Amino acid sequence: MARVYNWQLGREMSYWYPESRPKRQFAAVFDTNKCIACQTCTLACKTTWTSGKGQEYMLWNNVESKPYGSYPLAYDVKLLDMLEGQRWEGSTYAGQTIFESAPAGERVLGWRPEEQDYSYPNVGEDDCAGQVDHGAVIQIPHMSWFFYLARICNHCTYPACLSSCPRGSIYKRQEDGIVLVDQNRCRGYQECVRACPYKKVFFNPMTGTSEKCIACYPKIEQGIQPQCFVNCIGKIRMAGFISAPDQARADNPIDYLVHIKKVALPLFPQYGLEPNVYYVPPVHAPVAFNEQLFGPGAGAAMKAYQNAPNDMDLAGLLCLFGSTEAMVAKWRRQGEQIYGFDEKGGELIRVPLREPVHIRPGFDQRLQIIRTNCP
Amino acid sequence: MRSPLRASAAIAAVILAMGPACRRAPAPSPDVVALRVTALPDSPADAAWGEAPEHLAKLIPQDLVEPRLMTPSTGEVRVRALTDGARVAFRLEWADASRNDRPGPSQMVDACAVQIPQKLETEPPAPQMGEAGKLVDVTYWRADWQASVDGRGDTIRDLYPNAAIDHYPFDAQSLEKGSPEQAEMAKRYAPARALGNARSGPRATPVEDLVASGPSTLTRVEPQGSRGKGVFGQAGWSVVIVRAWPKEVVEGRRTNIAFAVWQGDRNEVGARKMRTGWIPLLARAAQ
Repeated sequence: MARVYNWQLGREMSYWYPESRPKRQFAAVFDTNKCIACQTCTLACKTTWTSGKGQEYMLWNNVESKPYGSYPLAYDVKLLDMLEGQRWEGSTYAGQTIFESAPAGERVLGWRPEEQDYSYPNVGEDDCAGQVDHGAVIQIPHMSWFFYLARICNHCTYPACLSSCPRGSIYKRQEDGIVLVDQNRCRGYQECVRACPYKKVFFNPMTGTSEKCIACYPKIEQGIQPQCFVNCIGKIRMAGFISAPDQARADNPIDYLVHIKKVALPLFPQYGLEPNVYYVPPVHAPVAFNEQLFGPGAGAAMKAYQNAPNDMDLAGLLCLFGSTEAMVAKWRRQGEQIYGFDEKGGELIRVPLREPVHIRPGFDQRLQIIRTNCP
Repeated sequence: MRSPLRASAAIAAVILAMGPACRRAPAPSPDVVALRVTALPDSPADAAWGEAPEHLAKLIPQDLVEPRLMTPSTGEVRVRALTDGARVAFRLEWADASRNDRPGPSQMVDACAVQIPQKLETEPPAPQMGEAGKLVDVTYWRADWQASVDGRGDTIRDLYPNAAIDHYPFDAQSLEKGSPEQAEMAKRYAPARALGNARSGPRATPVEDLVASGPSTLTRVEPQGSRGKGVFGQAGWSVVIVRAWPKEVVEGRRTNIAFAVWQGDRNEVGARKMRTGWIPLLARAAQ
């Protein structure tokens, strides 16, 4: 195994191949606090990419209710249980990654879901973390909690699927870092299904090959965000390209949220894949739970997000989510206006920090009529 | 207590009932000896196999490259071979308690393969899939492909009888059933098939011709006319693989052959397999 640097762990780690970062890395920020689990993203993906024979069970995009939801069943807790001692020392991971704890004869510590594990795509939906006793009333913070976790392939910098394929059938594109399964080369060994800790590679029994999220690369090549992004009702998602931490640019929306504001965090960074979908953690879930999912920066990220009403830049940038179909390469706040630009600096979108408020009096003096909201 | 006389009579009756094939059973051979015949059998049950000497090939786990097979499974494969000079037929038999011929998530299938060096050289290639500049030809049989050839349909219900499907885009009313337009549309939803990577689905033969120059290099080649047939019985699999006889191996010369077996219920697939080293392969006239 080679030694590579994983900035999410704050240290070097072992990986099957030497470090080879793409020229640009596709990345995304998902704001869990806005997700309503309407599954429009799931359906947008499903109807676009996985309507074929053998793809019936596949959800390249899914939304699960945490803490109990998971697809495939127990994909997260099963590996967390296998991967012992996930200890952080400050912002440095002191435990073992799934590459470093690979058993003899394996490239990665992994497991393969059984068929029935895919049979409950929305298990745990809306189940909250604790009992709601008789006589409970709404209070802040809530007595109990749950939140929605939308998931796609993380197009990892160190993909476990890629490293596990004995045939080299999985590749990471130099131009955008998107991870793809070569459908001409794959022989359906399912090593990638076993290795991916997020279980975002699926075996298609009707083609005999493994298939996965392609980050809608035909759209990205045209500067347009993927289907699950542009169809998001809650406007929780933003797609873009992330820089290495030491090259972070404040005018890059993803860099700003991940590297500068540190409000968006990777999912299960302790696995060691350097995943590239970043989550704004749910502010009403316990810090300890968020830390297990998103790493040691969860507490600070929650505080930063909760401070957004006093942080015009952060609040402003969050307003750009879902505002345009195009990939926003750069952004800027000017007063109460937030601008999104393409790579050449052309203006894509302009949104107000606060929506203008229109007050309609109950009685319209000009027309001398009473206005009501009732039909 | 059974009388010794009655027992002897019973044994004699069984021997007689087994017929001439049993009496002529050739002695086990240290090499894989392909007996010259005029016509090659397609069926593993063909009487012609009784004439061919049997080679008992010991299998070892593939434990040189990751992912390795850490727990040995199939101990041996019994091999017989027949050749008509242009082609060679192998019959591979191994013990297998369960038939695994349905592909699916975490559902591996039974399979076997024969491997022969592409060129006859003094130093054969590495037995583990050959090496750079020293290619090996591989002929690979798979149980799910056999099921397709034997008539399994090409719908998800043929794999999962209780599956409920609302609609596929290529079943839209605007597309005439069986039309080229419909077939073209269906391809868009099966990228591997569209690329000619027939890992699953309808097929004419349960075997595939491949070439390799070391681990991880296995590549399918244009079909070479290889064919095969596998039958699962109480004792396990009995599989016939028919492929081209290596041209350079003329009278009096010999090449090498290696075998591999995968058991689906042991999660064996790809590099996780039981294999042999090189075994001498030669042809011999029937005596």
